[in-house]
Amino acid sequence: MNRNFNNRALTVSQKIYERLLRAYPPAHRAEYGPAMAQLFRDQCRDAWDESRGWGVMKLWLRVLPDLVKTSIIERLAALTQRKSMSDKITNLIQPRAIFFRVFAAVFLITVLVSVAITYILPESYASTARIKVENDKLDAGYDPYFIQTQFEIMQSQVVLEPVIDKLNLNVQWGKKYLNGETLKSAESLQILKGRISLVPVRNTKLVAITVYSDDPKEAASLANTIAAAYQDYRIQHNKQITPKGIEVLRQQFLDESNEIRQVKSEADLLRQQFKIGSEVSVNPSSEEKLYWDKKHILDQMTEGHELFAGKIKELKLDAQIPRPAMVTITDTAEPGRAPVKPNKTVNIVLGVIGGIFLAAVAGGTAAFIALHFRKKTSKAAATV
Amino acid sequence: MTLTKNPPPAIISITDTSVKMAKSKTDPESLLPLTPAVFHVLLALAGGERHGYAIMQEVADHTDGQIKMGPGTLYGTVKRLLEAQLIEESDERPDPHLDDDRRRYYRLTGVGEQVVSAEAQRYADIVKLARGKKLIRKPA
Repeated sequence: MNRNFNNRALTVSQKIYERLLRAYPPAHRAEYGPAMAQLFRDQCRDAWDESRGWGVMKLWLRVLPDLVKTSIIERLAALTQRKSMSDKITNLIQPRAIFFRVFAAVFLITVLVSVAITYILPESYASTARIKVENDKLDAGYDPYFIQTQFEIMQSQVVLEPVIDKLNLNVQWGKKYLNGETLKSAESLQILKGRISLVPVRNTKLVAITVYSDDPKEAASLANTIAAAYQDYRIQHNKQITPKGIEVLRQQFLDESNEIRQVKSEADLLRQQFKIGSEVSVNPSSEEKLYWDKKHILDQMTEGHELFAGKIKELKLDAQIPRPAMVTITDTAEPGRAPVKPNKTVNIVLGVIGGIFLAAVAGGTAAFIALHFRKKTSKAAATV
Repeated sequence: MTLTKNPPPAIISITDTSVKMAKSKTDPESLLPLTPAVFHVLLALAGGERHGYAIMQEVADHTDGQIKMGPGTLYGTVKRLLEAQLIEESDERPDPHLDDDRRRYYRLTGVGEQVVSAEAQRYADIVKLARGKKLIRKPA
């Protein structure tokens, strides 16, 4: 049995037969391929012993039809097996059942995630201080940008830095957020800005300053300190800006006085030189006309200058009047009793609504895919 | 199946037989009649366990060389007989000096023996009937 056949015809025949075994389905080939090749080798040897090349040829004439026929049978058998499997799969794929399964799974997951997130999120308390904001100028008309400008000022460095310093937030928040390391003012400022909410009270001059914090006392303290800091800023700003403005106006007044003096001396010189009287003559000379023009300009300048002096006087008096009423704190902030964030009821309701929506989309998609797959498998089965 | 003189059985009959075999393992009568290929393989294995080449040789000897099974027919039949549990693969291997230990040996199961006996009896009844009608003579 283990004799070595060196005959080229036998070797080639065996190799060809091994190649032809590919006509069988892979599973059949894997199970019986080696045994079939071995049987063919044995038959080849017998055929060669019997009548050499002619014997091998006769063997091929028997084996080839056998191979064609049995490979078709095995292929058909494999297809039948595959069809029964696809039928089983098709029965498993029920689009309606898949829709409900996916819907239930996605809905449950979404609701559970929303509930988990709601309870994992840190609680946040809110405290609100309310202030009445007036314009600096008593006689100022409606300024559409005034409130918006004041909002920006309330959130600016000039107001918030004093708050940070007063409440020692760099150290306090450093302990809380940076393992005891002191925060930089810019970092504290950034945190503080993120916690402030400014809302104007409709049809009033009131502004609600709301501050959020995980500590209710801290939230109230921050809101009150911001309100006070803004009030201080407005008072200080007004105190600084009014004297500076008066000084500028005074300088302008002096310049104007010098100019008037200059014009007056020129007019006096003309009057003396051409001996011009206090009344305008019937036929004035060109010099006389020049004098009267200058006199007219001088009178106008003097009139305006006197008004200017009156305004400066008024401003000086205005600056001396104390004005704490520019910013009035109408309501001080109190520590909140219950956290405002996360709103558990809203979050869970949103989770349920979102869950229904997501589940419907996911279930619909899954059912559509199942339907498509079912049609495809049915078509494939029909083809088989 | 490769037959030298007898016409080959229809392709579908082999597949149908295997299905029928798988469905009714306990009732040998329900599997009859067997296809010639199945009957000859079972008959060859009735003499003891054999490998594929030995089965093929024995079938050729039994039929005076009239039936020479090709590898495709032989192993297709073996596959279906295994599925129907009429035969089983033997774990025992001969001495490697005496035979190639890579060969796969097969033997009849209890059901296989009953089936091949029932088929042989069926053939005997047919022979008896033919003799009664003087279509064939008694052997000398």
